[in-house]
Amino acid sequence: MVPALEFDEVTKQYNRWYRPQRVTALDGLTLTVEPGEIFGFLGPNGAGKTTAIHLAMGFMRPTAGRGLMLGKPFGDRKTRRRIGFLAENVALYYRPAEELVRFYGALNDVPGPCLKLRVRKVLEALGLVEYARRNAGKFSRGLLQRVGLAQALINDPELVVLDEPTSALDPVARVTVRELLTNMRNLGKTVFVSSHLLSEVELISDRVAVLNRGRLVRVGKTSELLASDEKLEITVRGIRPDVFPGGQALNGVVKFRIGSQQQRAALEQVWQLGGEVLSVNPVRRSLEQVFLELTAPAPAGAERISHR
Amino acid sequence: MRQVRLIAVNFVREQRWPILVLMLWVGVLSIMGVVVDVRRSGEDVLLIFKQVAAYGVAFAVFFGASAIHNERKTRRILSVLSKGVGREQYVAGLLCGITFAVSLYALAVAMTGTWILEPAGFPVRHLWFLMLCLLIASILAAAVAVLFSTFLNPLFATLSAILVLGMPAAAAAELDAKWADLIPVYALLELLMKASFSQKWTARWDLVLLGFFESGLCWVAASWVFSRRDIAVAID
Repeated sequence: MVPALEFDEVTKQYNRWYRPQRVTALDGLTLTVEPGEIFGFLGPNGAGKTTAIHLAMGFMRPTAGRGLMLGKPFGDRKTRRRIGFLAENVALYYRPAEELVRFYGALNDVPGPCLKLRVRKVLEALGLVEYARRNAGKFSRGLLQRVGLAQALINDPELVVLDEPTSALDPVARVTVRELLTNMRNLGKTVFVSSHLLSEVELISDRVAVLNRGRLVRVGKTSELLASDEKLEITVRGIRPDVFPGGQALNGVVKFRIGSQQQRAALEQVWQLGGEVLSVNPVRRSLEQVFLELTAPAPAGAERISHR
Repeated sequence: MRQVRLIAVNFVREQRWPILVLMLWVGVLSIMGVVVDVRRSGEDVLLIFKQVAAYGVAFAVFFGASAIHNERKTRRILSVLSKGVGREQYVAGLLCGITFAVSLYALAVAMTGTWILEPAGFPVRHLWFLMLCLLIASILAAAVAVLFSTFLNPLFATLSAILVLGMPAAAAAELDAKWADLIPVYALLELLMKASFSQKWTARWDLVLLGFFESGLCWVAASWVFSRRDIAVAID
């Protein structure tokens, strides 16, 4: 199956004639996004996320390397008709939301009769029906972002590329967008989402990649990234909290963490003391923890990783 | 073609206030038709008519030099070019939008001119031909400005466009009059500016065709340059 998005040693350097030094925004990024997955693209400010997205959309040309989007080179005009894109800090024309979404749909060659239905559908899906005839120029940032999402989805895209899609949304709208993206995945579509809202990404992403200073530092399944293979959290009842180091009692339930190698011994000890084991769970780290670990200043000469 | 039309209409819509300001000059011209006795002051009215008409070229340069920059600055260009729109279609859309605006202006000036100058004896066919010259000169001037605006900011794009459009005039003055036809904005405007009641006129269709052809060339060049430009970087 053709990957939805493929970066192959893509490098982007910015240079200005009046500056002797080049700024490397992206350094040999190699990454593959499979069809039908929600892919989280993370990184601190200036990591190169938006640069990577803009290269993929054909807004910029890579200094080195190449990339494919739905099997075609980055920037291919016909391929872009099958893509939905939402830019960071969305900027749209000042006109009624419905008209605006129709304009972007028409630009993407959505046929007339179909366009009217699609406009209705996306406005409904994003809770914009009551704002359809209002001028988008007077919208709050959150509403504008929703209109931005509507224009990204107007062509029923196979691949959606979203740069910070939920940053300005209220919690209700975030849930709506989350459900929308999850539904898209269920329909076999691919979602490539760059975000600083790690909890959002954690909730919906199948895989994530972490970028730091233009380099890919980690990529993998979200579940694997969050799971700690070293620790387990055991919840028991009927024993004193001081039996195990770090044990904490709350409402008659004791929780403690142990290494996975000590699991059997710990459980046997609980039973010997007459306790009852309620649950044994691997300790999950939050994406925020993983993110902070990966983006901490690295020692000089740190290895760059590539992933296909 | 649909994309070009949409971008052109969008351009006109976004630039409606400057276009309205441009049209106000036609209003000023028409007021003259009411308050001045054209039969007695025909040459004076014609002079003002020619000046007002020539503003179209200036506006075309300003429209062309700033169109891409404005869209990049507001980042609206990203939403447009993320769709199935080629860079050449985008440039063509902008040029069509400018062409529509200056056509509207040329038409309004031509109609007003016919109303004011015909009673004073100015040949109507000559006047409409001059307005066609104005239109072609404006389109070519806009195309040159758009070409420069693909890689320069509006100020430098305007200055560069003025320089390039003015060079044939300088060459014609210093070397040979035929140099004026090289980029025929000046030559087309000269036809307009030298028009008089007493002049016997001949239609210079060669200049009109050359101007139209060179506008096409500028569009090709602008598309080529623009397709190689990074549009998502900060502009300064």
